[in-house]
Amino acid sequence: MDTAFRKINIDIYDEDVLQDSELYEADPRDPAEVLEDAKQRAGMVRSLLAKNDIPAALTVVLENAPYGPNVDDAKARILVVDIMTLQTLLTILNTTKSADIPGVIKSLSLDTQDTLMKYLYKGMAMPGWGDVSGSVLLGWHEKLTEVAGVGCIVRTMTDRRIV
Amino acid sequence: MSNVLRPYLAAVRSTLTAALTLDNFASQVVERHNLPEVEAGTSKEVLLNPLTISRNENERVLIEPSVNSIRLSISIKQADEIERILCNKFTRFMMQRAESFIVLRRKPVPGYDISFLITNTHTETMLKHKIVDFIIQFMEEVDKEISEMKLSLNARARIVAESYLTALQG
Amino acid sequence: MSEPGSLDVVFVDYDNVRFHLSTPERKTVLLLSMNIRCWDELVQYGALDILKREYGALLSSQTEPDYNVSLEIDLEQVPTDPESREAFVTSLALLKRNALAAPFERGFATQKELDSSGGQGELMQIHYRDEEAMYIQAAPDRVTVIFSTVFREETDRIFGKVFLQEFVDARRQPSIQNAPQVLYSNRDPPLEIRHVPGLRNSEDIGYVTFVLFPRHFAPAVASTTISHIQLFRDYLHYHIKCSKAYMHSRMRYRVTEFQKVLNRAKTEVATTERKTASGRTMVSR
Repeated sequence: MDTAFRKINIDIYDEDVLQDSELYEADPRDPAEVLEDAKQRAGMVRSLLAKNDIPAALTVVLENAPYGPNVDDAKARILVVDIMTLQTLLTILNTTKSADIPGVIKSLSLDTQDTLMKYLYKGMAMPGWGDVSGSVLLGWHEKLTEVAGVGCIVRTMTDRRIV
Repeated sequence: MSNVLRPYLAAVRSTLTAALTLDNFASQVVERHNLPEVEAGTSKEVLLNPLTISRNENERVLIEPSVNSIRLSISIKQADEIERILCNKFTRFMMQRAESFIVLRRKPVPGYDISFLITNTHTETMLKHKIVDFIIQFMEEVDKEISEMKLSLNARARIVAESYLTALQG
Repeated sequence: MSEPGSLDVVFVDYDNVRFHLSTPERKTVLLLSMNIRCWDELVQYGALDILKREYGALLSSQTEPDYNVSLEIDLEQVPTDPESREAFVTSLALLKRNALAAPFERGFATQKELDSSGGQGELMQIHYRDEEAMYIQAAPDRVTVIFSTVFREETDRIFGKVFLQEFVDARRQPSIQNAPQVLYSNRDPPLEIRHVPGLRNSEDIGYVTFVLFPRHFAPAVASTTISHIQLFRDYLHYHIKCSKAYMHSRMRYRVTEFQKVLNRAKTEVATTERKTASGRTMVSR
């Protein structure tokens, strides 16, 4: 007897089934706009880094960071933006002296701290990629947890707007 | 604890502490079932974002949280063939005794060497911070144990070879 | 000393060599027979001569069926003083060792002949186990002994590699520089035997080469060298097993330690008996 039908997941045909899109509000911005935005930010960060103003540079990258899984046809483009943002962020993280880290973190707003935590985990999930260095990220993670507490990690886990 | 390992274990400790906020939660899909949601994976609204903590490509911890259970998978450092086989033997030895380890999963998640499954029942009957201590101590000692086993194997091999050849000197 | 009794014992060693010790005719005549897998090869390399030299008249003209060689020991003619008695028993116990010594002795002799004439000696093959063999070849300045050995399990293979690597490296020690050179190759047979048909070429096989120079088989040490080299395979595999057993006991200990750590996490369950006002025991359901 054919038993393959037992493996069919009938729940996905339920009218009330929960869609991914219902879990969070999609990024309202147009992909092209986001890409443009990200390029602009990268430029701003470079000039801020030249002035050695790390808190401002971090705020620029992390505020209104692009988020969400990429559902539309602009997937590839969003990916470019994602990677660009991460790359920019890593440049900042790598250039910060470890003694300065706590001060920098304290000067960030709560929301920015949460976004920073999200990016730290994202960076650690891609080892061996680009110039991601585990020890730098772990150093930042430790300091950030000291300042923002475990709650910050909980928010990273629960926030559906993944970066 | 060595200084290099400390930030890594600290990150695992804080992430695990954050993830271990579990509550009893009956299945929304099957009546009268109460399963670890992270294993069942049937309702995505109760699954949280999985987080990875890594030192490098070979040393990673994956924490998959959900409303009533978390799954923690460890990838252990294996520098060469000997460490690989020793690690394999050791984790297998432990997993065969999973029932006495309560929080240990019988099979690792693909891509990792050993996995733990902690459910709300465990956090209700055990002290949360002690479970975290256990995981951290495990991570600390498993590396040490593997490198010590490797050293002892090499030492024995050297003595064995030398004493054999000494007798053959002619 | 007790009276001689009748006896019928079969025993085997690790290389599946079968021995049979019995008293078929009289209680005072022991018959010791041996069945060895590679007997035909050994005879070809002169095993009978060696056994004749070692055991002389003891060698029975009538070999027991199913066995390759038999020794007939008349207990009434065994030396009586303890020392020579001990030596006699030892020499009987070395039956297999003496049979297997034939190709070695021939190799050593060939080397001496080649010393003046040059050329290569015959490659002697002794398939002393189902999947493993020993190869001996003489050259003008040396005798090469090659073992093939199978590691049935991956752990054995990797442990074996570690051990054999140490054999190769051990000669760097100044104290054992005079030991024979050891070479080891995994999977690929060494040049000397590469032309031999039917060699396995799989991951689980290893080839160990001992290069013996004349100083290793000078008359004074030749017999020790032969005994030693014969035992190489057993020695290696024994120590691999020992290592595995040691690892196992370590893991057992470590896992108990982990268990203790985890047990510390368990909360104490209140075990006091609770009673209601009327004196009934409360039972939790």
